[in-house]
Amino acid sequence: MVKYFLYILILVFFFIPSVEARVYLDINAPTFVQIPIILPKWKSVDKTPPALTAKIYEVLVNDLALSGFFKVIDHSLLPIYLKEKEGIPGMLSIQEWASSGGEILLAGEATLEGDGLNLRLKFHLVDLVEQKHLVGKQYDGHLQNFRNMVHRIADEVIFHLTGEMGVHNTKMAYVIRQGESREIFIADFDGANVRPLTQNQSINVSPVWTPDNQKIAFTSYLKRNPDLYRIDLNGKNLQRFSSHPGLNVSPSWSPDGKQIALMMGKEGKSDIYLLDANGGNPRRLTSGHGNESTPRWSPDGQQIVFSSDRSGSPQIYIMSLDGANVRRLTYEGNYNTSPSWSPKRDRIAFCGRAGGQFHIFTIGADGSGLKKLTPNGSNNESPCWSPDGRYIAFSSTRLGGGSRIYIMNANGFNQRPLTTSKGGESSPAWSKRFE
Amino acid sequence: MKRKSYVVSIIFILCIGLILMGCPKKTVVKDEPSAKAEAAKIEAERIAKEKEKEAKEKEVKEREAARLKEKEEQAKREFERSLVAKRTPGIEGEVFESGLLKPIFFDFDKYDIRPADTEILKGNSALLKKFPNVKIQIEGHCDERGTNEYNLALGERRANSTKKYLTSLGITADRVSTISYGEEKPFDPGHNEEAWAKNRRSHFLITAK
Repeated sequence: MVKYFLYILILVFFFIPSVEARVYLDINAPTFVQIPIILPKWKSVDKTPPALTAKIYEVLVNDLALSGFFKVIDHSLLPIYLKEKEGIPGMLSIQEWASSGGEILLAGEATLEGDGLNLRLKFHLVDLVEQKHLVGKQYDGHLQNFRNMVHRIADEVIFHLTGEMGVHNTKMAYVIRQGESREIFIADFDGANVRPLTQNQSINVSPVWTPDNQKIAFTSYLKRNPDLYRIDLNGKNLQRFSSHPGLNVSPSWSPDGKQIALMMGKEGKSDIYLLDANGGNPRRLTSGHGNESTPRWSPDGQQIVFSSDRSGSPQIYIMSLDGANVRRLTYEGNYNTSPSWSPKRDRIAFCGRAGGQFHIFTIGADGSGLKKLTPNGSNNESPCWSPDGRYIAFSSTRLGGGSRIYIMNANGFNQRPLTTSKGGESSPAWSKRFE
Repeated sequence: MKRKSYVVSIIFILCIGLILMGCPKKTVVKDEPSAKAEAAKIEAERIAKEKEKEAKEKEVKEREAARLKEKEEQAKREFERSLVAKRTPGIEGEVFESGLLKPIFFDFDKYDIRPADTEILKGNSALLKKFPNVKIQIEGHCDERGTNEYNLALGERRANSTKKYLTSLGITADRVSTISYGEEKPFDPGHNEEAWAKNRRSHFLITAK
């Protein structure tokens, strides 16, 4: 019975994910043990260039490592008798693979077809402990989209082991310092395809994704005032949409996309305002003498979390949409800013100052369970959640010479830099999934 | 005959009397022209003195005015000379910087004016009063520590507390605009306290002169 599974190819276009997938990994638990996953070498079918297959394999290994869910055993770590074996093994040799200590096997092959531009990727996922085939799929696509195809495989693997799709087909927008200017860049989740969105030599800061996942909104000083703009992902069609004298910063769209919360400096200090989706009809939500910053919506669209220094030092607060029912969330430390509400759970990430350094913390929306996630020794700022709430991106100075974008699991595990850049990166913003 | 001589004597006496009575009057009339001249002379002297004084005063005043004007011109020239036109790539418009408008600095995460910096602001305000056509923009800046968005809010506060102090010194609010650059436009790109201290500041730009 089992061996037949290996030969069933399910085209992704017709595949409906099973909601009854066994959960191997409860990634919501505060701690979890990484699953040891074995990746034999991928096979180059027919005249497929081995260099391409090697690249595909490399992207896949990196994706699984980035997810933080796996202890990745790539072919170089395998015993000699398995090291050079490639492609999808027959069911008879499964026991041989199980003896190498892995619990899950992910094997595959690549075929370059037609005029050499159509790529077919085939993979199989096997539970070595229970000797059970979990899923086998085939993806067809254009060669130039090979990275997205690999990301899709990684997402699929994560879906089958955790019950929820991965976020490998997401992107990150962030700021890179270039001399005196600040430009907005985007990169894939794995740090590949870094490309500039703005190259106007101005100061462009504080990027966020618009709800349709098709534009980046940011603040720019092009007109000698911090105004809000949005721009298409190809760097075209720049539009200014909020330009009141003073601050127009840090927009956050309501989950239904109908309203924008933002920081505006109309009264000589920063307050939280609501705008209509077109940027008009400003309504002030905060009153009093505090400096109010970085509003972010709750996933249910009923509340806004923000930072305010109304008590004398910046702290995290939550209010309802009319500015009422304000409650203070943080009491530890005297510098808590830049909150971000998990899209999936009642948990809020923020930047707090502890021991003279800035760190990423999370706290329950009820103020319980404060947790410091970043290690001492450097400054860590600007947390933002992945669309599945499993990861947090942030900036860190831990490598020296200016900050870089990092990604970690929501529990603080597996902290890795997004790219190998030379620094000067800040303010990450995570997209939703691209289908 | 005796009676006739009596009448003649009376007439004579009367005549004498008349003559005698008329005599003093005649003397006064005779003295009048010389007194008038004397008075006129005194008056003329007084007026002359006054005129001289006025002229002197005028001269002093003119000299003082010329001196003031020269001083003003000199200050103006000095101010003009101090102006450095500044264009920033990617930021619209030309503005001027002047070494005569001095920056003030802030403590970490603070936006209140340090007591020692009030003298600097008084100096800046005196200069602005001297040149009523000058309009300025106050830039609020922060060091790189802390989140970028929070620092944009903090810079807004720094610029506005500086503006508030200047208006309290009599500078009208319509001459002063503000802008926050947060931590995005540091004066010193270093990553140490020395650089940070320089970067926590209100910086003055001239937008009209």
